[in-house]
Amino acid sequence: MFEQLINMVFSASFGYSIIRITSPILFAALAAVVAEKGGVVNIGLEGIMMISALFGVLFSYWTNSWLLGVLGAVVIGILVAMIMAVFALKLKTDIILSGIAVNLLGGGGTVFLLYLFTGLKGNTASLTTPNMLTPKIHIPLLKDIPVIGQIFSGHSVLTYVAFLLVFLVWILLYKTAMGLRIRAVGENSHAADSVGVSVLRTQYIALAISGALAGLGGAYMSMYYSQSWNIGIVAGRGFIALAAQAMGQGEPVGAMLASLLFGFASALGSKMEGMQGFSSYLVASIPYAVTIIGLVIYALSTLKRVKRFRDKAK
Amino acid sequence: MKKLLSMLLASALAVSMLAGCGSKANTDANKGDAAEGDKKVYKVCNLVNGTLGDKSFFDSAQAGLEKLKADGRIDFKTIEMGGTTEDQAKWQGYLEEVSASGEYDLIICGTYQMPDYLKNVAEQFPDQKYLIYDDTTYTLPNVANLSYAQNDLGYLVGVYAGAMTTETSVEGINEDAVIGFVGGVDSPVINDFLYGFILGAQNSNPDIKIDTRYVNSYVDPAKAKELAESMINDKKCDIIWGVAGNSGNGAAEAALETGKAYFIGVDSDQELTFSPEMAAITLTSGLKNIGNSLVWFFDEWDKGVEHFGQQTLLGMKEGGIGVVTDKNYDSKTPAAVKEKVTAAIDAISKGEVVVPTAIGNETNEVQQLRESVKP
Repeated sequence: MFEQLINMVFSASFGYSIIRITSPILFAALAAVVAEKGGVVNIGLEGIMMISALFGVLFSYWTNSWLLGVLGAVVIGILVAMIMAVFALKLKTDIILSGIAVNLLGGGGTVFLLYLFTGLKGNTASLTTPNMLTPKIHIPLLKDIPVIGQIFSGHSVLTYVAFLLVFLVWILLYKTAMGLRIRAVGENSHAADSVGVSVLRTQYIALAISGALAGLGGAYMSMYYSQSWNIGIVAGRGFIALAAQAMGQGEPVGAMLASLLFGFASALGSKMEGMQGFSSYLVASIPYAVTIIGLVIYALSTLKRVKRFRDKAK
Repeated sequence: MKKLLSMLLASALAVSMLAGCGSKANTDANKGDAAEGDKKVYKVCNLVNGTLGDKSFFDSAQAGLEKLKADGRIDFKTIEMGGTTEDQAKWQGYLEEVSASGEYDLIICGTYQMPDYLKNVAEQFPDQKYLIYDDTTYTLPNVANLSYAQNDLGYLVGVYAGAMTTETSVEGINEDAVIGFVGGVDSPVINDFLYGFILGAQNSNPDIKIDTRYVNSYVDPAKAKELAESMINDKKCDIIWGVAGNSGNGAAEAALETGKAYFIGVDSDQELTFSPEMAAITLTSGLKNIGNSLVWFFDEWDKGVEHFGQQTLLGMKEGGIGVVTDKNYDSKTPAAVKEKVTAAIDAISKGEVVVPTAIGNETNEVQQLRESVKP
């Protein structure tokens, strides 16, 4: 049995799966990172992804171009985040409440919008044409290397964008003036205010970036991962991303590692279900169990470090 | 800017409100059209715990009712209650409202999500008649339960898939006798499909291996895709039956993207709901004919046979189940396989083959069988 598992885990398709599962979570986790750095909790990621996923399909259907579809999804992502921002920042509702409102809108409002625009109600499987799906990129040279090529080549263009964005978000946060302002506002808004940084404007920008990233995650779900949109398609990935952000200590690279861990556990679960004697209920809990174990290990190592530091101070 | 913003907000608000109550849009405006014949024209209310346009149960029920209406036998109103978690809170309210109105001879609802809500209301209004389709949770004197022999349905699909998987003359079929089953949740209803599927496949090929995996969600096609790809790549499944609602589409996508497998749909003719590319790799679908079963129900009622207070299981004979036999099935299936399926349909309708059910089976026979045929 374990031989079977090892054979499956040490296969190229396993690595490929991990990257594919990780990408949408990574987009949303980066979205959470940027918002959190600016001192706002974007709990509406799930809803933004749901709405963007729908509009990604609709725009690409109308224009017959996946690129315009993705851009549309990003614009809609920003728009929804801005609606949230207006409620939370200008009208001073609790950001958690406006986030929940966006999630509810993502659940029910999307079906209404779908019906309004297409007359369909359940899913968009009948609309899909190959032009509407984001293309897979086969990286020259890399694709010819055995195993590594199979794992890292042949993903959607959005997958590569996701991992590139880890780097770009890091640059944004740590190497630009805008990033400094975002971090300052998140760290201590009064201090930032006292030196002339517009807190409101900075938080609007942070949420807009967050919305754009979540929009990409939505497009990934409906224009690549699944080939069409359906009710509830995001299936909790927006919430998992919030956990990944927290697990990754709110840093882009940390969030990426946490997302990868989740992707690994989820891919492992998918493989294990095919083996004898594994209940699907047990397998379904693997990603969460791995997350908890990861958090425990992390907490223990932090504790140790703190202790060592204190010992030294003595 | 301010104006634009307020308009945006207002429209967002309107959208969320309309999403909630837009459901009433589908009322049948032209009542009274129905010809007054000798027979009683029943007044029926059809409560949909989701929306029409699902190209599955709800549309099938609606089509059946429309046929009955066209024949002047009923007059009906469909209320779409919405299918999200937030909408669920209103389902009981809808049920109570239409029951209290006393306007209807029969109130119809269905699916595994409704029994609890219906139970509360049916006990409150003992004189009101109800019909619930695709559920067997309980029996009440004023409720008719229609269920569909999904084990028989599974058997037919199993016979087909089991025979097809070794037909290497069909493009994309490999020589291994391995087929797959992607289920929504490891639950009695889904396992009822599975039970028949395994037995049917074994009937066609005693050495068949069946890889069964569950998505644990009916709306996560991405997860189903991961499962199906693993089935195709690791276990060489070349035919996968998706019994998982929207998630099932993910299995079809995996079959399409790997190019090494075919998909079989469920509940309704899924070939009709797919893009041309995905329809091309869908061999057939196992059907639950909700619409036919409603017509059958009114036939019986007109004859004076009432099924209230009973569990009524509809099979091949009553037209409650079936498989799609035109389009891809017709063009791709070798004659020998077709013969096997026809023979199986015949045997099932005549009662020569009796497929055991997973519902109410507490000895876990399905689970044991499932494990024993895993590749």
